Amino acid sequence: MKSDAARKTQTICLYVLLVLGAAMFLAPFLWMVSTSLKPLNETMSIPPRWIPSEFLWENYPEAIDEMRFFWRYLGNTLFLCVMTVIGTVCSSAVAAYGFSRIEWRGRDKVFILVLATMMIPFPVVMVPIYTLFKIIGWTGTFKPLWVPTFFAGAFNVFLLRQFFLTLPKELSEAARIDGCNEFQIFWHVIMPLARPAIIVVALFQFMATWNDFIGPLIYLNDQQDMTLALGLQSYQSQGGGTSWNYLMAASTLIVLPVIVLYFFCQRYFVEGIATTGGKG
Amino acid sequence: MPMTGRHPPASYSQLLFAACAMLVAVCLLGGCADNEPDDGRIHLDYWEVWSGFERDAMQQLVNDFNASQDRITINFLSVSQMERKLLLATAGGNPPDIAGVRSADIPVFAENGALTPLNRYAKLYGIAQDDYLPAVWNMINLHDRLWGLPTTPGNTALHWNKKLFREAGLDPDTPPKTIAELEAINEQITRFNERGEIEVLGHLPSDPGWWQDAWCYWFGGQYWDGEQITADAPGNIRALTWIGTYPERFGRDKLLAFQDLSGNFASPQNPFFQGRIAMQIQGPWMYNFINNFAPEDFEWGVAPFPTEKPEDYGVNVVETNLLVIPRGAKHPNAAFEFIAWMQQREHIEKLCLLQRKFSPLIQVSDTFYAEHPNPYIKIYRDLAADPRATARPPLTTMHEYQADMNNANNSVSRAVATPAEALGKVQQRQQKQFDRMQRRWNQVKETREAEWDALDQEAAR
Amino acid sequence: MTGREKRNLRLGLLFISPWLTGFLLMSLYPLVSSFALSFTDYSTLSKPVFIGGENYADMAVDKLFWQSIWNTAYFAAISIPLNLGIALFLAILLNFDLPGKKIFRTIYFLPSLVPMVCLAVLWQWMLNGRIGLINNALRPFTDFLNGAFGTNFMPPNWLADPAYAKLGLILAGAWGVGNMVVIFLAGLQDVPRALYEAADLDGANFWQKTRHVTLPIISPVIYFNGIMSLIGSFQVFAVPYVMTGGGEGPGRSMLFAATYIFNKTFRSLSMGYACAISLVLFLIILGLTLAATKLSERHIHYEGK
Repeated sequence: MKSDAARKTQTICLYVLLVLGAAMFLAPFLWMVSTSLKPLNETMSIPPRWIPSEFLWENYPEAIDEMRFFWRYLGNTLFLCVMTVIGTVCSSAVAAYGFSRIEWRGRDKVFILVLATMMIPFPVVMVPIYTLFKIIGWTGTFKPLWVPTFFAGAFNVFLLRQFFLTLPKELSEAARIDGCNEFQIFWHVIMPLARPAIIVVALFQFMATWNDFIGPLIYLNDQQDMTLALGLQSYQSQGGGTSWNYLMAASTLIVLPVIVLYFFCQRYFVEGIATTGGKG
Repeated sequence: MPMTGRHPPASYSQLLFAACAMLVAVCLLGGCADNEPDDGRIHLDYWEVWSGFERDAMQQLVNDFNASQDRITINFLSVSQMERKLLLATAGGNPPDIAGVRSADIPVFAENGALTPLNRYAKLYGIAQDDYLPAVWNMINLHDRLWGLPTTPGNTALHWNKKLFREAGLDPDTPPKTIAELEAINEQITRFNERGEIEVLGHLPSDPGWWQDAWCYWFGGQYWDGEQITADAPGNIRALTWIGTYPERFGRDKLLAFQDLSGNFASPQNPFFQGRIAMQIQGPWMYNFINNFAPEDFEWGVAPFPTEKPEDYGVNVVETNLLVIPRGAKHPNAAFEFIAWMQQREHIEKLCLLQRKFSPLIQVSDTFYAEHPNPYIKIYRDLAADPRATARPPLTTMHEYQADMNNANNSVSRAVATPAEALGKVQQRQQKQFDRMQRRWNQVKETREAEWDALDQEAAR
Repeated sequence: MTGREKRNLRLGLLFISPWLTGFLLMSLYPLVSSFALSFTDYSTLSKPVFIGGENYADMAVDKLFWQSIWNTAYFAAISIPLNLGIALFLAILLNFDLPGKKIFRTIYFLPSLVPMVCLAVLWQWMLNGRIGLINNALRPFTDFLNGAFGTNFMPPNWLADPAYAKLGLILAGAWGVGNMVVIFLAGLQDVPRALYEAADLDGANFWQKTRHVTLPIISPVIYFNGIMSLIGSFQVFAVPYVMTGGGEGPGRSMLFAATYIFNKTFRSLSMGYACAISLVLFLIILGLTLAATKLSERHIHYEGK
């Protein structure tokens, strides 16, 4: 057993490490917020200027105006986020269950295929996929951006499979003895225990949709149908440079909800299940 | 033992409920794309590459056009990186009716059959070669066909800081005309501080380094002689030799340290605006940046960029944005109506004024220069009208060629290769690439020509 | 096949059917077509023309291709272990019951949320040869060495020097470990408290507990992060693209396989060639993934298998 003094030193060391690291990791965010409040000609100074000479809060409303369809874009983006998160969570949890908790012949070989779909660089599969959506007449609509998430993306299946595999086998067997069928085991036993991972998948999907630039760029054809990530382009021009302060103000507005979401989601995935004695 | 048959925790149902509630809210906010209104007008899709004020400028013109008649409505979409979208949509057979592209895109798009030739249309609307600056007209024609009509051109020129000239005892109104003069001024202006660091430079080719591949033009060199790749032409080698003298004269580490103190181009820390560099090669857009980022009392001038030989003085590289009709567009006739409308002098001048560029047309209205915010706009325009105005060659391999030239430049600046070695490698690689492209072009050439003829016939109807 | 096996196969296929449908509809066709296109001359805009193995023959002598593969391998070899290590370390730290842990967890995740342009601006400043934060920290050391031994060490000009540009990129990339940390944190929740308590009773110290309790239990998650960063690093694109402004870096030191594929696809419209490179890259990643899976099999501890 350790003495109290040693424990204290250890805690202090950890703290110092954490704080130093945190300063590094906080820097980009702080820079973004401070830039969003600066006048344009202070934005890109070298070395960076951390505190604006004057705080221009009006950059925020001006940035929203400049994007022209901010609220509309917000609505579009939220719509896509909600749809893709629902699609991803439902489909990949089911598929991951099939790849981890049921033993069927050839399962692990098929799983290699799941991984393989992530190994082909995006540019070379874009044309066939686009052509596919063109044939079924979905280009110019939101469908190509959310319907595919209902078909379990490889990343999420892989992630959930790994988590499902950490859960002891005996859990399923006990449930089977109790007369549960496979779907009941999935829903009543595995899903509750895998909550941290499910929340992580939902969070990542939300972020991915929230920040997706290339998908909306390719499939949406109307200025009003764009998403926030595309709207950020409004502040750049070929021949006049970038309005960094507006860009950062809009970015801050866009990032904040995600930070808040993350902050509150933590409860679900970090102070998770293990403490409730679900296993062991 | 683990418990079984437990109900899913409340949080799932809560989350599900929250998600549904959000979905409803979102649909009310209006997330769903709406269809074209059925108002009896032809609806055209027009995709553009601009963003910011340049997009807003074109939006105004589109609004003007939509209001000017009652048969056609243009749906204008402008996003940066539109090229990628256009490529996929064209490949997928779903292109817009009108697209704004750059002159450099013509060879690849045209030779692959992705554009509609416009010769007949142009004839029909009385649009002719002698209306346009020759450099611009040459750029939009390839294989004896017209591929688009220009919106706003741009080109390159010398920009100098008059105050620094004055401080060095030079006449602020006499810019250098030859590279030798430029270097003499460079020597006179360049100052070191007491620690031996560079404080002010007369000129630095790698700042901001936007045309690192194209210095050859000012040395009488070229990329291509019309038949073969000429990466290692004598003029190109002399240009790179000149680049190589900079690290020799000033010291590579000192130049790097100097550049480390230079901020973003679009900021007051741009060394040109800070008075740390006296001469820069730039274009008409420089006015916008100076307006935004340079000090109030910044004094600058514009002149042709100096050349190695006095007789070449006036050489400059012109590019243009242009409107094309992708092949497979649903309403090519209506699309050309808009393009032709844009070519009318008052409309193109309105766009050029709003975007602060010069007009691609030879005829310019009396008030254009007076109304134009950029006091030097006529200098750029006259340069573009100069017979020595040139454009990058119309090669489908141009992007890679430029990347290779940039890399050669970088190798010479880092003194890891001599100009002849670096360019020799480029020559070898690019000639091979070019030969292959040429071979492939020859295979499809006849089919392509026939397609173009057929399209042209169709247009006549 | 026994009745049970049959039943399991049916059930298994039923459960994976969402993925299977998506795979058949949306992945299989692009995969097969990109394989087929690698034997053609295809510009995206016009019809592909069959040219046999020409693309592969070209690739064998294409110096840029080899350079891009070398750059990618170099980047992956350093950044995968580095990021995994940092992420695991951070996750273990952040899993302690410290006051303010929620805030810390958020902070370490922030760079994954901030737009890339913000990161790019700060990277460029931090890696600046003269006034950069990193070199300012290094300078006392080099000065000391130079003073003591008469050497002439200089902190590198990270982004202008081909020898250091990739290292600079790797350092900058460490900002993005937040995603991995989150996954590790979720994984750490699976470690039953009882095991720690038992280890405490045995007098195990922190290191022993980590080594013998934590790591084995979260090994499936480590495997996940490892494989994902393998797949990700070999397709690294966005960060160098932003950092070099769409270029290739000094001496082409930032030309990665995915950059080359991107350029071939969107700039030169040589889709056939891009497909051929992609296929080679695909085989490399697949080979390494299978190798990593084989090698790590003994060390991964699946409770559910």
